[in-house]
Amino acid sequence: MNPQIRAIAHYTALEGRRTRVLIIAVIGIAAIIAASVFVRELAVAEGGRFQTGFYAPMARLCAVFMIAVHVLGSVLRELEDKGLELLLASDLPRSHYVLGKWLGFSITAASVALIVTLPLLALHPWQAVLVWGLSLLLELLMMVTLAQFCIVTFTHLLPAAGFLAAFYLFARNLTAIRLMAEHPIAAPDALSQQLMVSLIDALAFVTPALDRWTQTAWLVSGSADWPALANTAVQAAIYVLMLLAATLFDLYRRNF
Amino acid sequence: MAPARKPTATERPIRDVPWRVLAALMIALVLQCSWHFRQPAPAATAADLGAPPVLPQRLHGGDPISVAQWLLLYLQSFDNQPGISIPFSRLDYPQVLRWLASALSLDPASSYPLLMASQIYSQLPDAGRQRMMCDFVQERFMEAPDARWRWLAHCAIMAKHRLKDPSLALRYATAIAESAGKASSWARQMRIFLLEDMGELDSARVLLGGLLANGEVTDDTEKRFLTERLLSMESARKSTGATNK
Repeated sequence: MNPQIRAIAHYTALEGRRTRVLIIAVIGIAAIIAASVFVRELAVAEGGRFQTGFYAPMARLCAVFMIAVHVLGSVLRELEDKGLELLLASDLPRSHYVLGKWLGFSITAASVALIVTLPLLALHPWQAVLVWGLSLLLELLMMVTLAQFCIVTFTHLLPAAGFLAAFYLFARNLTAIRLMAEHPIAAPDALSQQLMVSLIDALAFVTPALDRWTQTAWLVSGSADWPALANTAVQAAIYVLMLLAATLFDLYRRNF
Repeated sequence: MAPARKPTATERPIRDVPWRVLAALMIALVLQCSWHFRQPAPAATAADLGAPPVLPQRLHGGDPISVAQWLLLYLQSFDNQPGISIPFSRLDYPQVLRWLASALSLDPASSYPLLMASQIYSQLPDAGRQRMMCDFVQERFMEAPDARWRWLAHCAIMAKHRLKDPSLALRYATAIAESAGKASSWARQMRIFLLEDMGELDSARVLLGGLLANGEVTDDTEKRFLTERLLSMESARKSTGATNK
């Protein structure tokens, strides 16, 4: 690996440790575990199922939120402190900067995915937990890349975080939104309806259907859905490549 | 002398982007679109109605009305799931009753669950399920008769005209007359006309006479109408008696 990319990745991962992202992740996951035990106690039957049904989506959401905010904050600080300008003034290609940062954030994301996944081993077969954990890692890598793209493109926290949240919400409900748009209850031939369907279909082209990723059903059924994970991996690879290219495209066009 | 570049420009032209980055972006876009085409089209699948969630009913944060409304809206929209419309005949009616009962227990002042039971879910042309909904309404009517008599009155009409079960209609009408003191007079008088329709002229005559005698009816027009009905019942009774002799 290129030493410049490696150095940036190393310091980005170090920043993740020193800004206590991993400790906060442990505390957050501990709180969610406590809440899930409470839910388990409330259930009169299928306590384990209830506990997983609460823990898995909450922990996934918590991990996505933490990683996305960490990436946004870290890149934004470099932009505002002019650290990026200082780096680019040296003999450092912009692509190496983006790839190095992405790699460093990915190391932090992998650590968070591990923290989130490990407690599930106490409840479910390791194969199902492994598939779920790997899918979570892919989801976090995708969010890392998207957050990096958003903050490089928008350069301000509010639009970047807003876009990120809207994207995640849309992608997590993509299948349901497409079905609702294609089978309306009233006025299916209305122009507004047809426009809406076309818009949603166009967005679906460039949005991964996250509702097929990191499914709680894999855990509660106890079966390792390897084909689904393979499908997720291919989609994640394509999407990460596209977002990295888009980030580089934006960064190369910027004058500092 | 060459013109100076604008100092305010913050973006470089696209030709400044390395060709590798542009190629990667184009390839990734093409791959993403092809991947999207390769994925199976979303298929609508009807989910079964599960039991009403217990947790929000307990942890409503001091706002049970809001939770009751969410339960009702969820139930109401359940037959219109993304991409599919489920006929009422495929709904699990005992489960629907559990949802309605949960919402009503969270917000007893609301008429919405009883309205849904008597006016929406009882529209299905299935006598068994119509009776199930009406029995639920009667059961819940007894908890607050003065507030809930309208929905039982609707069930009484439904029992008479759709279910063709006058004795069931009479049971509901009797419950209104005996328990809902603040019900409208037409609802409280309904059992009299049901008895008349069923040929129970004696019982109808006694009840109508009692109603007129105890001064419950105060409106003159209504009093005149009921008196005429009583007289017609009397004459019908006499003519029936003469025929029998």
